[in-house]
Amino acid sequence: MKRIATAALVISAAALLQACGITEVKPWERDYLARPEMAWSPDAQTASQRGHVYFSKEASNGGASAGGGGCGCN
Amino acid sequence: MAPAPEVVVVAVTDQKKTSQTLLALGAAALAIPGIVTKAEAAAPVAEAALDYKFSAYREADLDSDKLAGGSASRFEIDSHLFRYVSPLGSDMDVAVDFAFEKMSGASPWFVLPGNNGPVQVMSGASIEEERTDLQVSLNRFVGKQLTVSALAGLSTENDYDAVNVGASVDYEIPDSQRTLSAGFGYSDDSLEPTDGRLLPDRVDTAEKTSFNMYVAATQIINARTVLQGSLSYASHDGFLSDPYKKFWVVDQSNALMDSRPDQREPLSLEFKLRHFVPATDSALHFDYRYFEDDWDIASHTTEMAWYQNLANGWQLVPSFRYYTQTQAYFYAPYFLSERGDGYGSSDYRLSPYGAISFRLKLSKDWGPVAANLEWESYRASADYSLDKVDVENPALVDFDILTFGVHVKL
Repeated sequence: MKRIATAALVISAAALLQACGITEVKPWERDYLARPEMAWSPDAQTASQRGHVYFSKEASNGGASAGGGGCGCN
Repeated sequence: MAPAPEVVVVAVTDQKKTSQTLLALGAAALAIPGIVTKAEAAAPVAEAALDYKFSAYREADLDSDKLAGGSASRFEIDSHLFRYVSPLGSDMDVAVDFAFEKMSGASPWFVLPGNNGPVQVMSGASIEEERTDLQVSLNRFVGKQLTVSALAGLSTENDYDAVNVGASVDYEIPDSQRTLSAGFGYSDDSLEPTDGRLLPDRVDTAEKTSFNMYVAATQIINARTVLQGSLSYASHDGFLSDPYKKFWVVDQSNALMDSRPDQREPLSLEFKLRHFVPATDSALHFDYRYFEDDWDIASHTTEMAWYQNLANGWQLVPSFRYYTQTQAYFYAPYFLSERGDGYGSSDYRLSPYGAISFRLKLSKDWGPVAANLEWESYRASADYSLDKVDVENPALVDFDILTFGVHVKL
C-alpha cells in the first residue's frame, strides 16, 4: 500500500513539473541561479553535520547523496 | 559523517585580465548551484579555501517525572570541523573534510511502566567518547556537460569503525535546462561495544554494511527558480540493533537486549526548490522528503529557509524544519510479553513522534574572510506527530546547537 502511495507521489510530482511552465533561460540569464545562496546546500559543512545529527536522533535518513560514514550514535 | 557529494561551485571568479562585465556574465553562466552547477559549470573551484567550525551540541536533561533511574544529564558533543577545497589542475577539484568530536553524557537504557505513563531508566555512569571522521571527495569535469565524482571516508570511535566509498555522475542534457544525476554509496561498519566482553548479554563484536543509490533530475524552471526531484534506495545488512539498549518485558519482570531485524531497506523521495526574489534580494529554500522502510517506519520532513542578503556583506538566514514519523513494527515503550519473532526495542528513535526545529544564522563576508554564527533549537514530542500517538516515549530528545564558523580564501 505504501509502495503504491510512493509511486503515486512520484507520478503526481512529475505531472506537476510538466505543468510548471518551464521557460527558456539563456546562460547569460542565470545570474540569480548562480548566486551562492541559491545552492542546494550553501554551507556544505553545516549541512553535513546537521545530517549526521538528524541521522543519529531520528529513524529516517538518506537522500540524493553518495556519501555516508557510520556512527555508534547512542 | 556524510559530506555533500559535490563540491559546490558557488562563484567562479578570477580571470584577472577579463573585464568585470564579462567576468560577471561568465560567473553567472558557469555557476549554477548544486548538482546543476557541476554539469553546467564543467569547471573546478576557482580558488582554494579553508573552513573551520566549532559547534556545541547540548541535549536537555530528562524531566525528573520521566526518570526511573540513572543520570538525567544527557549527551553533550563538542565538534571541530575542518574543510579544505582546492582546484587540481584545469579539470578537477578536491574537498577534504575532517571532524573531531568529544561526546559525554548518559544515554537511554530501557523503559519501565509507571503510574503516569512509561518512565525511562538511563545509563548510570557518564559515557565519554571521541570520534574522528575524514572524508575526501574528487570531482572531474569532462567537457561542458559531464561531471564524475568519487569519495572515500573513514570514521572511528572508541567502539565503532566505519569505512565508506561512493561515486556519482551528473549529466546535463544539452539545450534542455535539465540535469540527470545518479550515484551510490557503500559503508562497511564494525562495532565493538564497551563492556561487550564483561556483560554476558552484550554483543562482543558486530558488523554492518550499507549500500545506497539514487537518481535525481534537476530542472531550471525559469531565471529565478530551480527544482530537483530524487529517488533513493538503501539496504542495510548485519547487526542493526543498539547494543546499549534494552526493552522491558512485564510478564518476565526482565529487561532483554534490544533486538531488530538484520536487514532494513529504506526508500525515500525528495524534492528541493530554490527561488530567488530580486525585490528583496533574498532566496527561498524549500525541501521535502518522504521516507519509508520495511520496518513500517514512514516519515515526512519539510524544511524552509529564507536567505536574506543585507548591506555590507551581512546575511541573515532564519529557517524552520518539521519532522514526523510512525513507529517501527517491533517497537513498544515496554512489552507485556515477548514477541513471537524475538524482536523488540524501546528506542525513542523508533517511536512515533514529531519534531520542530528553528534555526537562525548570521553571516558577514569581508571578501577574503567570512564568519558566521548559527543557533538551532530542536524539540521533539508526541504532540507534534502528524498521526495520533497513544503513548509518548519518555526519552524523546530536545537539543540546542550553537555553531561558530570562519571561511578563509587561500
